[in-house]
Amino acid sequence: MAFHHKILGIVTFLYLFLFLIHILYFAVKKEKIIAFIWLVLYGTLGLHTVGLVLRWVESYQLGIGHAPLSNFYESLVFYPWCISLILVVMKQRLKYPAITLCCTLISLFLMGYASISPSVDKNIQPLVPALQSNWLHIHVFTCFLAYASFVVSFVCGLLYMFTWKSVVPPRETLDEINYRSVIVGFPMLSAGIFTGAVWAHYAWGSYWSWDPKETWSLITWIVYAVFLHARLVRGWKGKKIAILSIIGFASVIFTYFGVNFVLSGLHSYAT
Amino acid sequence: MSATKNKPTEVTPPEKSLFKSLQDFCASIKFAIILLVCIALGSILGTVIRQGAGQDEYLSLYSESTYRVITLLDLNDVYHSPWFIALLFLFAINLTLCTLNRFMPIFRGDKKVFVPEESALASMSMNFRADTNADDANLSAMLKGYQCTYSGAEGKVFQKGALSKYGVLLIHTSIMLILIGGFVGLVAGFKGFMVLQKGDTKSTIAIGGERPREKPLGFSLKCKEFQVSFYPNGAPKDYVSTVEVIEGGQTILEKQIRVNEPLSYKGIHIYQASYGSTPSFSFTIGGEHVTLKEKETYRKENIVMMPIRFEQNIHNFGPGVMVAYLDQGEPRTVWFLKNVERFNEKSIQGIPVRFEDVQENLFTGLSVSKDPGIWIVWAGFAFILLGLYINFFLYHRRIYVRKIAGMYLVAGVAMKNKEAFKKEFYELRRKFDGISS
Repeated sequence: MAFHHKILGIVTFLYLFLFLIHILYFAVKKEKIIAFIWLVLYGTLGLHTVGLVLRWVESYQLGIGHAPLSNFYESLVFYPWCISLILVVMKQRLKYPAITLCCTLISLFLMGYASISPSVDKNIQPLVPALQSNWLHIHVFTCFLAYASFVVSFVCGLLYMFTWKSVVPPRETLDEINYRSVIVGFPMLSAGIFTGAVWAHYAWGSYWSWDPKETWSLITWIVYAVFLHARLVRGWKGKKIAILSIIGFASVIFTYFGVNFVLSGLHSYAT
Repeated sequence: MSATKNKPTEVTPPEKSLFKSLQDFCASIKFAIILLVCIALGSILGTVIRQGAGQDEYLSLYSESTYRVITLLDLNDVYHSPWFIALLFLFAINLTLCTLNRFMPIFRGDKKVFVPEESALASMSMNFRADTNADDANLSAMLKGYQCTYSGAEGKVFQKGALSKYGVLLIHTSIMLILIGGFVGLVAGFKGFMVLQKGDTKSTIAIGGERPREKPLGFSLKCKEFQVSFYPNGAPKDYVSTVEVIEGGQTILEKQIRVNEPLSYKGIHIYQASYGSTPSFSFTIGGEHVTLKEKETYRKENIVMMPIRFEQNIHNFGPGVMVAYLDQGEPRTVWFLKNVERFNEKSIQGIPVRFEDVQENLFTGLSVSKDPGIWIVWAGFAFILLGLYINFFLYHRRIYVRKIAGMYLVAGVAMKNKEAFKKEFYELRRKFDGISS
């Protein structure tokens, strides 16, 4: 087992640990624990970064050097890193542990799936010719930052559906954080689609070929465009917006997983 | 995108004509959302139903009546179907009308900037009075980054982030640019395919799927070299075609084309798309060496023969080729097996024919396209991102400063992002306090 796998294994346990501290917080409700949660989250993000960088370095030692952004395993490990990054960036607004609880649970699920599922190849593979491009970095980075922001939006939308006073943050706060995360995610998704289009122009000869992944990213983009217009122009708030953010995330999930498993197309690196 | 709500309280005047209400509907956000949802649903159909396949494939997947519905509604080519293009066209009209409606007041510039009366300022949610003798220089130092839009004896008006008003305009215009760029590409561009073996020269490409037509390029491409390399695990590593562009009998340029590194010449892009191989066979026919490709006829004296089928491995006996020949005018076929002594030689019309070897000839598949709309689309992309930034991360706020009897009354308003503005305003108040003490 390569060294970076050990590090990423520890990171997976850290996400589990984070989840447990959240549970502890809700059991004893001590404010000090919140500070500790953030400390652990920073540590996790740091070690996660180390794991990713090590995988990058090890790929060079194998003579097939490339950023760890090229196959399904690497995306599964990169996604939680982006979620943690977005949480840290939005820290000022995320004072309610219910949100970080749900986000770390999703990270834990992704990390666990990456390491346990036998169908996911964990080895460092060489880059096929289509992926040998600098657009890979910026395209994957922007897309996954968008996906990560939409995780926060989804969590807010989901929590909105519950009225468990001691756990769920106030509804206005959820609504505001939901909107804030979408205005980060939407430009990122746009940038992800555009960098993908420019790359497709150089690699496949056409910036838009209605490949299932492209089409589903457009559908996701449309859902969040409707979200923004409903909120900003029509003044939608509350439950309707929460439902839209859940629909949006369902579309994200299908763009990320569904297209790979259900539909086939040009974008089939990630299976 | 201001947070103001379109209040549905306005009563529709009774004299409003059908045409006018239709016009209003076309320019409404409601229509925009309906169209976007329809475009999204249409796109989903296109990813669920197999696109651009042949009739047989559809009939193997669906019943005959379903297939009839699919062809009737163009569901086998959703993204180029009349109804999908009509949706995009309606969306373009709606987008233009919505944007014009929203920005006409701003373009007319009918808003005058002035310092509101004392009572109006005092009733604003954010205001304070400062007992200070700050002069103009002090004011502009404290309001760093702000622009003074009005200055008079009674006071001043400062603003910041006024650009954010134009974010939506920029985003919407850019979406129009992308649609226009796509349309230009559809009308004035093309996309085709060319297959070249090492040494081949071609000046036409094949356009279209099932029954392709030939299109002259205006210049020729010669494949000087084509190489494929693999990683130790068998995955492809690199495809490289070394290609010469020849125009008017002269070699204009030579370039290596790789995946991700296309060749551009006169607005036409040539991409490394695929590769493959065709076999060629060497025979010794009556002491003479002959190399034949598949379906290539050999005629000499009274021998007429043609390799018609190649198999890499026949019943574990290694490569073999099926040859058709004429025996006394009668067509017959025979298998030659390269590695089996008894089957690699046969007498045809009394002349010994020996199958010596088979070579794989690599060919390169080049995708050739021209898209004059590409730069319009790129510009659209760049402007959308700029517009999104301006719209979501800058915000417009005004600060009014009124002089009242040696004192200042300062008030501020922000159109959105009020939380951040509150902090900024608090900072400003501290600066004023710092001067007065």
